[in-house]
Amino acid sequence: MVVASGPVNSTGVSAVIDVSRSSNLDGDDKQLLECLRAGEDGCYEMLVRRFGPQVLATAKRYLRSDADAADCFQDTFLAVFEGIDKFEQRSAIGTWVRGITVYQCLMRIRAQGRRHEESIEHLLPVFDENGDRVQSFAGVRSSDIGDSIDATQLKIIVRQKIHELPDTYRVVLLLRDIDGHTTKQTAAILGISVTAAKTRLHRARSALTSLLKPEMERLNYHADM
Amino acid sequence: MLTCKEFDDFMVDYLDQRLPVWQKFMCWLHVKMCRECAGFIRDYHRAIKLGQNAYDAPDEPVPNSVPEELIKAALSHKRSK
Repeated sequence: MVVASGPVNSTGVSAVIDVSRSSNLDGDDKQLLECLRAGEDGCYEMLVRRFGPQVLATAKRYLRSDADAADCFQDTFLAVFEGIDKFEQRSAIGTWVRGITVYQCLMRIRAQGRRHEESIEHLLPVFDENGDRVQSFAGVRSSDIGDSIDATQLKIIVRQKIHELPDTYRVVLLLRDIDGHTTKQTAAILGISVTAAKTRLHRARSALTSLLKPEMERLNYHADM
Repeated sequence: MLTCKEFDDFMVDYLDQRLPVWQKFMCWLHVKMCRECAGFIRDYHRAIKLGQNAYDAPDEPVPNSVPEELIKAALSHKRSK
């Protein structure tokens, strides 16, 4: 696993960003980096326009409001500008920027505390005294969009359901299942043990399964096992 | 044979295929023998797939998806430094 140090942000915390899925710099990246390090204003604009959509999309995925995503956008590029001289070129610039974006999102979520932390116990599997599974999806409502549903609507519903998860679980799910980090990498990014990451991931997935159960039944959705 | 609760505890590692051979076999056997857990792991796996599909190509840039004022604000931060 290749780990790169991100820029020191305004709080003085150095971001540790995983970039193990990255590649080395290509020609475009090299040219952009040289130009950025030369301090040319036009190159900063090029950087923001090139990676801005990716940064904003990532911020909207992790954060709950557009205002937070916009603030995160600013914080990310500020950190990128400040850290460009320390960029170690172990990954593509886009991968590095994505790592910083996720880090900025996590810092923002952490700073906001646990105000979104509602219990998910009612969405988790239930076992009887013998350890046997008891079916229970009580209280999970299907979305109100009628009987037919297309792929775009389904994506929106699934995103909404993921959004309903408390941050503690939602973030692990996003890092692990959506962004494709390993459990070990997810644990490192969040500063928690691998065991804790696995537990949170399992609870997040179990809760999401409950939340999506009505949609799966309605769709008779079939996925390859 | 594993109980459903014990199987549930192994589920993340089971799906990741990270269990030792014996535990993997015990989980496989449990799924074969337990209709409830077979149904649950099927839905669990579908939920993961649905989540991934909902965010497929997450980094695909959407043209003009960033408001101009956001871009300008980011650049003005840089210039003010």
